[in-house]
Order: sequence, then structure tokens, then C-alpha cells
Amino acid sequence: MKHILNIIAFIICSMFIQSCETDITVDLPNPEQRIVVEGILEPGKLVSVFLSYNAAFFAPLDTNELLKYTVKNAIVIVNDGVKIDTMKEALPGIGYIYVSNGMIGTIGRTYNLTVIADGKTVTARTTIPPPIALDSVWFRLQEFTDTLGFAWGHLTDPDTLGNNYRWLARRIGKDKDFVAPIGSVFEDKFINGKSFDFGYNRGKSINSEAEDDKNEEEGFFKVGDTIIVKFCTMDREHFEFWRTAETQISNNGNFFGSPSTIKTNVKGGLGIWGAYSPTFDTIIATK
Amino acid sequence: MQKLFPILTTIFLLSFLLISNQSYAQKKYTVSGYVKDASSGESLFGANVYIKELLKGNSTNAYGFYSITLNEGSYTLVTTYLGFKTFEKSIELKSDLRINIEMETTAITGEEVTIIGERPEEKLKSTQMSKDEMEVESIKTLPAFLGEVDVLKTIQLLPGVQSAGEGNTGFYVRGGGPDQNLILLDEAVVYNASHLFGFFSVFNSDAIKNISLTKGGIPANYGGRLSSVLDITMKDGNSKSYHGTGGIGLISSRFTFEGPIVKEKSSFIISGRRTFVDLFMRKPFIKESNNAFGSSYYFYDLNAKLNYSLSHKDRLFLSGYFGRDVFKYTNQSNGFKAEIPWGNSTISLRWNHIFNDNIFLNTTLIYSDYQFELGFSQTEFDLRFISGIRDYSVKTDFTYFPNIKHTMKFGLQYIYHKFTPSTAEASSGDVDFDTGKTINQFAHETAVYVNDEYEINDKIKLSGGLRMSSFIQVGPFERFLRNDQNLITDTIVYSKGETVSDYFNVEPRIAASYSINTESSVKASFTRAFQYAHLASFSSISLPTDVWIPSSSIVKPQIGNQYAAGYFRDFMDHVFETSLELYYKTLKNQIEYKDGALPEDNVNDNADNNLTFGKGWSYGAELFVKKKYGALNGWIGYTLAYTKRQFDEVNNAEEFFARYDRRHDLSLVMSYQKPKSRWTFGLTWVYASGNGITVPISRYFVGGELLYEYGKRNDYRMDAYHRLDFSATIDSKNKDVRKFKSSWTFAVFNVYSRKNPYFIYFDDEGNLADGTLQLKAKQVSLFPILPSVTYNFKF
Repeated sequence: MKHILNIIAFIICSMFIQSCETDITVDLPNPEQRIVVEGILEPGKLVSVFLSYNAAFFAPLDTNELLKYTVKNAIVIVNDGVKIDTMKEALPGIGYIYVSNGMIGTIGRTYNLTVIADGKTVTARTTIPPPIALDSVWFRLQEFTDTLGFAWGHLTDPDTLGNNYRWLARRIGKDKDFVAPIGSVFEDKFINGKSFDFGYNRGKSINSEAEDDKNEEEGFFKVGDTIIVKFCTMDREHFEFWRTAETQISNNGNFFGSPSTIKTNVKGGLGIWGAYSPTFDTIIATK
Repeated sequence: MQKLFPILTTIFLLSFLLISNQSYAQKKYTVSGYVKDASSGESLFGANVYIKELLKGNSTNAYGFYSITLNEGSYTLVTTYLGFKTFEKSIELKSDLRINIEMETTAITGEEVTIIGERPEEKLKSTQMSKDEMEVESIKTLPAFLGEVDVLKTIQLLPGVQSAGEGNTGFYVRGGGPDQNLILLDEAVVYNASHLFGFFSVFNSDAIKNISLTKGGIPANYGGRLSSVLDITMKDGNSKSYHGTGGIGLISSRFTFEGPIVKEKSSFIISGRRTFVDLFMRKPFIKESNNAFGSSYYFYDLNAKLNYSLSHKDRLFLSGYFGRDVFKYTNQSNGFKAEIPWGNSTISLRWNHIFNDNIFLNTTLIYSDYQFELGFSQTEFDLRFISGIRDYSVKTDFTYFPNIKHTMKFGLQYIYHKFTPSTAEASSGDVDFDTGKTINQFAHETAVYVNDEYEINDKIKLSGGLRMSSFIQVGPFERFLRNDQNLITDTIVYSKGETVSDYFNVEPRIAASYSINTESSVKASFTRAFQYAHLASFSSISLPTDVWIPSSSIVKPQIGNQYAAGYFRDFMDHVFETSLELYYKTLKNQIEYKDGALPEDNVNDNADNNLTFGKGWSYGAELFVKKKYGALNGWIGYTLAYTKRQFDEVNNAEEFFARYDRRHDLSLVMSYQKPKSRWTFGLTWVYASGNGITVPISRYFVGGELLYEYGKRNDYRMDAYHRLDFSATIDSKNKDVRKFKSSWTFAVFNVYSRKNPYFIYFDDEGNLADGTLQLKAKQVSLFPILPSVTYNFKF
């Protein structure tokens, strides 16, 4: 649904206009430095967080430079309603990763985060919702081929409003990590209480250089793949973050969308202190 | 509404007392009639009709009617109109006289215009300022984009009017948004005047007679929009003989046919236009196996009008406009299909009646409908968004000419609106998704007005008007209430006819002019206006996805106050018309979508729950120099303008420049008809400062994704836009009026092929792993040099 406007733009360009694109130099003002939070909260997992800084837009992006933007020596406090924990910097000198001392993600709990670094303070809060599993998952071939297709699932959404989902998938042996396709997050506003099938194409991790992300297999799963589906529930703010972030990603280069502000739940900063409640399923892709 | 009647009655009584005080003593009689084009019978709007001995008179109204009430006596009646020979007639005014005037054409490129006894300074003396009238025939000599002569593109060449973007027919007048322009076609409101996402307008210039744009000093008979009134009247149809006009261009072909039904009593005109590129998108040109087979685009416009003179006092007009765009796209490889139809239909039935020769009545019944649909399907998943607006309206306008010093107008307007802000239907295979019921919004909009233009003496003219408007939203309606999780928790249900919200407003309209001498004048005006229908837009480019929403308990009517003053001067015996106008506008209750809002938020919710409100102000100066006569004619318009907004929920509540803010805007328009030659040349050069856009200022990573942080709204300026267009038209050799005439027009758009910025975007290139990842800024330009050829004919 979200990439509809993007498609209109593409259609118009390709059908009627011989548009011309040139690289230009834009003088941007220096931004205010902000703490970027990426929370790791899942049931049964150790609560931890990645902390980095934003960078000026055109600042160089190679991996050496990125070390400049990790947050070091931060004071990170998390309160799960039962106890208060001060996280440890996992890699002293490098910063970036902070882990709690044995605080494990528990369904139903709300986690309050406070980060103090470089004279700045940010706070955030998230809740781990109960998980909702898919009824079934499978692979289905697309019409015009006998090797390529999409991954499908059947979901029965509970009758109460307020369920938010995210779909991620990983191919064993081909993907290092779970990858989310565009439009991976959805809410139950239009599907409340319904039981239905849905499918997703194969997402692409940022700037992937893999062959199959560039040739005719781009976006498709293949017969012979073993796909692990990670289907998560999340709270409202976490959903809003990814919804606006995905809108921004798909709007880049599209003049029909307006610059979308990403909704962050981090007060005073950027990013997302967001909890997931995942369930896992496996698909073995056969004809 | 209870407050209305006492106030209005008092005003009426006072004005009548004032006026009747002047008409004692001598007996007065009225000379009145219609001014028409002798060759076609078309009524002429804005012709100057005056008494030579007194140098007093007035202009014909939209139906070509004039009425002058004077003391008994002998006079000379004179009529002038650009492009026609001056008409003079001696009259003996001993009783009411009906004199219908037929004007003979004269080429404006011909010999010098005689000025003895003429009163071309009518325009200088009129209290109406900030108004531009365009002669359709002169528009046709100007270079047109891809050969399509376009009314809306041409008005963007006037000062104070800015284009919404390259190829876009949306326009901004004096810093106001595109929804603040009232676009009327034969009195019916046109809600979306664009084809092809804004590249062309819906107006077929072959069917149009008059175009006038009022940017300030808006008289009391117009209301409902804050920034401008674009009043377009269709031709009535030649009542003397049958004629046809048409043409074939790169984009569309057109044909118009007009003629009498009963000679000199009734006539018709029918005009159509259609694109033909879709004929090439089918077999045999495109094979069924082609991935995009099934894709096509077409648009059509159909204008039709009938008029009938029942008697010398009564006339009936029936006009209709039907237009549609259908865009289809298919991508067979991923099972994706899109179908996007949209269109307007308007029908108006008008009755003119003349009472006592000095009261002119026009009553109109109007139906106007705009529908837009966005349909997508991807394998089994189907989605349709529908939005639209439907109006049923009645208008009655009186013009009363009690004596030569006063022209009074009064009337009443009622519109019944049905808004469908957005409805969606979605399904996947057999399962229908719950997109909620269609939430229509019904409203009654009413207005009553009175206006008097009073010529106090030879130098001073005053115009005072009052408009009272009201807007009442009625059920059936459901209002959704949200909790702080932003989830809908409750609904308030209104039954049919139950009042949901109501607004009542008073809109004063005042204007004055002072003639310094026969060559110059100063004018000033104040307009207060309210707007009850609004366009909420998601993007910076006007799209059919922009929805019209009515005022409601959440959306208050927009309010605009405009102060304008100007100095007007004619040079060289009125061959050159120049003006300098200054304006200052304040706007309240301006509308924007909340940050991060998306089109699907409107589904299963009230469209206005996702809006935020603020205020704005704009000010500027407009300089205009126009040469009206001669082989070489045209104009230069320059505008210096500022327009800002402030919204509590946007841009951290800081003031920002509106997306319509463009510091400098310059248009140079020239047309040259070589004497004794078949050639006509046209040239336009436009320059506009860059638009403000919002750009990212920092970047960060979350979950492996590269995300941007955006800076202050509209803080960055794109490069300036400028472009030169040129056209040359050659007429066929045969100059005999009765026979078939044709011409070829060759035009070049963007002669020096400037890469004008249409849009700037930011994107990443390269790969993080091997260190080549880079963020870049890219500028998209749409149109390089584009030549076009059009063939036109007339018989």
C-alpha cells in the first residue's frame, strides 16, 4: 500500500517524460547532534541497546568513519517495573553496544530507558506485547515462472483493535540476517478480526551486492530455499516508527511524497526503543 | 441566519433612499440593450457603453447587457470594445429605448485607433482593481506547451499569479494555495481543472469567449474562495451561420461546431477534444505479450451549450461540460495493475430576465460533480480509493441601474454539497477488508450579498458591498473520536438533517478609485472573505489524490483579509496600460496534514482528524506594462512577493515560508503579426525564483537502514526557473472569409533547453561493505527543448 505513490511517479516518468537527472551540490546547514537509539527487546533475550550519533548528511560513509559516530561512555538505565538496571558498555573504547546485567525481556512488561551521554539526555518507553503466530506459511510460485515466487502466510487477527505486525524473512545459507521487505509493518485497522492470506516478496538489505539482488531473482524467493519467517507483534509507537521509516525509504526519489518525518519514541533523540514479540516458522520452497 | 434579514433590509432601505434622493425633478428614461459581435451574434462582455456628451456610462455585463438611465434629452450613444470599430448613434431619449448594438470587428493589429471622444479610461476610473481580462484569440497567438493552447497556463503569465510547477496547471495567486481560486465555467464551479496530473487544463479554448481573473478587490457577488476568481464564459454559439473550428496537435485533436437553431434567436455550440496516443497503445502497435500491454492514457473534454431568446426580455442558456481522464497501467511480470479515472461534469441552466429595462436578473441552476478513483491490484490484492464532491446549486443575481451614478448588485446563492473525502475498498482474494463505510459530508452553503458602485463625481468612484455567508454541515454523519494511542474508541452519530456544525460570517468588500486625470488613477480595496471547502494535499505537487473537504466542527472556515492599493497609468493615448499594485493579505485557519500523515489514515476515519491548522500572511508588489494595440503587442509582468505560514504542530511552531513562496516572478509575453503577411509570431520568457523545499540535514542508521532527519520546512531554495518559448503560425493563403481556412503552428518550448529544477531528491549510491556508499543530491528536470506542430482549421 505504501509504495503506491512511488509507483505512480515511476509510471509517469517512464511513460511520458524524458526526465533528466543531474547530480548537484547542495549546501546543507550543520545539524544538531542527536543520540540515535536502537533497542533490542524480545521475550527471552537479554535487554540491550545500540547507541550512535547522527551525522551531517553528506559526511563520508565508510566503515572507518562510522566509528566516529558511536556513543561512548554513556550512562544507560533501564527500568522494567520490577528492577532498575544500569547497562554495561560491551566494548569499552568502541562504544555503541550496551547490555543489561541479566535483564531478560518479558511479555507484558514496559521498559523505560534513560540515556545520558555527552551532556545530553534522552528517554523512551516500550512494551513487549504478547506474540501472535501465523496459522500457516508456504511458498507459492508466480504465474509466469516455475522457479520463482513469494512467501505467503495465513493470519487470524484477534478481534481487539491495536495489533501491529512486522514480517521479516531469512534464507538459510543465503542471508546473514532477517530482512524486511518494503511494507513489512501493518496494523489491524482494516483487518481487525479477519482471517486471510497475504504474501510478501523478498526484501533486500541495504546496498546488497549479492547477485540475486540484482538479476531477475531480485525480490523473489526460489525453489530450494529454506526460509525462516520471523513474524512479530509490536506496540503502537514501534509500529509508527517503521511505518514512517519505510514511507521515507520508499519516498526517496519520489516527488509525489513529501519529506516524511520519522516518528520516533525517543524523547530528545532519534531512532526507536522498540520491543518485538516474534514467532518463527519455516518454509521449504518447493514447486 | 436570523441576523441576516434585519441587517440586509436596513442596507437595502438606506441605499434606495440615497439613490432615490437624487432622482427627483426631471423625468428619467432608460436606454438599454445588448451589445453583440455583428458577425457571430456573440454577446460582448465588458464593452464600454457611454454617452458622449456626459462621458458617463458603464460596461456590459457577462451577457452583453447595458442600461443607462438619464434625464430626457438628445444624446450620442457610443460603444467601444477592443478589436471592434467604435459604434456611435444619436438618440432621442423621450421614452425608454431598447437599442441592441452590433459591433464590427477590426484588426487590433491594424491602423491606429481613433481616440477622439473615446472613453478608454473606463478601466482607469472603475473601482475594480487587480483584475485581468484576457481575449481568447490573443491567447492563441502565444506559444503553447506541446501545441495545446491552455487558458490556465496563460494566466500564469500574469503578475501575481504563479505556476505550481513545471507542467502544472495549479496556480497560486498572491501567495494563496491552489484551492483558494474559484474557477467558474459558465457559473458552475470546477473543482479539478487539470488533465494528466496537471499538465493540461480542462478548458478547450475553442469553446471559450471570455476569461477574467480577479486577484484582489473581489466584489461581493463572488465568494467561497480567498485568493482569486477565474471566471470563464463559454461562447454562446454563432447565431447567424454555421461554423466549425478544429485542430490536430501532438497530444490531442479538437473539433468545435456552432450555429443557429433559429437564426438570430437561438444557437448552439458543441466542442470536443480527445487525446489519441492511446490508440497506439493497443494491437497491432503493442503486442499482447508486451509487459505493459493494457496500459493506456486518454482524456477527453466535451463542452456543449444551447441558448434561446424567448423574447426581448428573456433568454435561456443551457451549458454542460463533461471531461474525463483515464490512466491504466499494467505490469504483467509482477501481476500489478493500476487504473486511475477522474473527471468533472457540470451542467448549468440560466435564465436572463430584464425588468423595466434597468433591472437585469440572472437565475442559474447548477449541477457540478467531481470524482476521482485510484484502483490498484497486485495478484489477488485489490485496493480502490474514491473521493469526490457533488454540488447542487441555485443562484440569483440582480443588477439594478437606477441612474447613471449608481450600479447596484444584489443576490442570493445556495449550494447543497455532498463531499466524499475518501472511501476505500480493499480485498485479498475472497476476503474483503474492513475499510469502513463511506463517510460522506453534507452541507448547505448560503450567501446573500448587496453591492453598490457609486460615481460620486468625475473623479471619485466608490464601491461598497456586503456579503453574508453561512455554512451548515448536516447529518447523516459519524465523527470518530480517538484516544491517546491514536486508536478510534468512540463515534458520535448524527442523523439525517441534524446540524453537525454551523458557521455564519460577514464579508465586507470595499473599493475606491480616484482619477488624477484622464491618463492615471489610484485605487484601493479591502476584501474580507471566507472559504468553506478546502483542498488537503499530501504532496507538494497537486495530484488527483488531493481531496476536497468541507468545514466542520474540526475544520474552521479559512479567513482571508486583503488590502490592496495601486497606481494606474496609461501612456501614448492608452496604447500602453501600466499599473503598480501593492497587496497585503492575512490568512487564518490554513490547513496542512499533520507530519507523517499518509493517505490511508483517512480511510475508516474522518478526513479532517489528520489535519492541523495555522495562519499565514503574504505581501508583495506587482508591476504590469501592457501594449494593447499594434502589430507588436504583449506585456511584461513582474512580481516581488513573500508568503509565510505558521502552524503550531509543524516545523516546531516556527514560521516558515509557504511552498508557494517565490521571491521574483517575471513574465515577458509578445505577439507580432507581420503586416500584410500570413505569419504571426509569439514569444514568452518566464523567470521565477526557486521554490523552497525541505531537505534532510543529518543521517543515521537503525536496524541496518539508512534514515534521514529533515530540517526546517521549506528552508532550502532550489535554483531559479527560466524558460523561453517561441511559436510561429502561418495562415493558409485563402483569405476569403466564407471558405475553409487553415494554419500551421510550429512551436518550441524551452528554446535554450534549460534544465529547470522540477524536484530535488536525495538518495544513496554504492555499497557500505566496499566503502563506496555515498549520499547524493539529485535534481530532476522534466522538459528539455520540445518542438511541436499543430494544424488548425476554421470554416
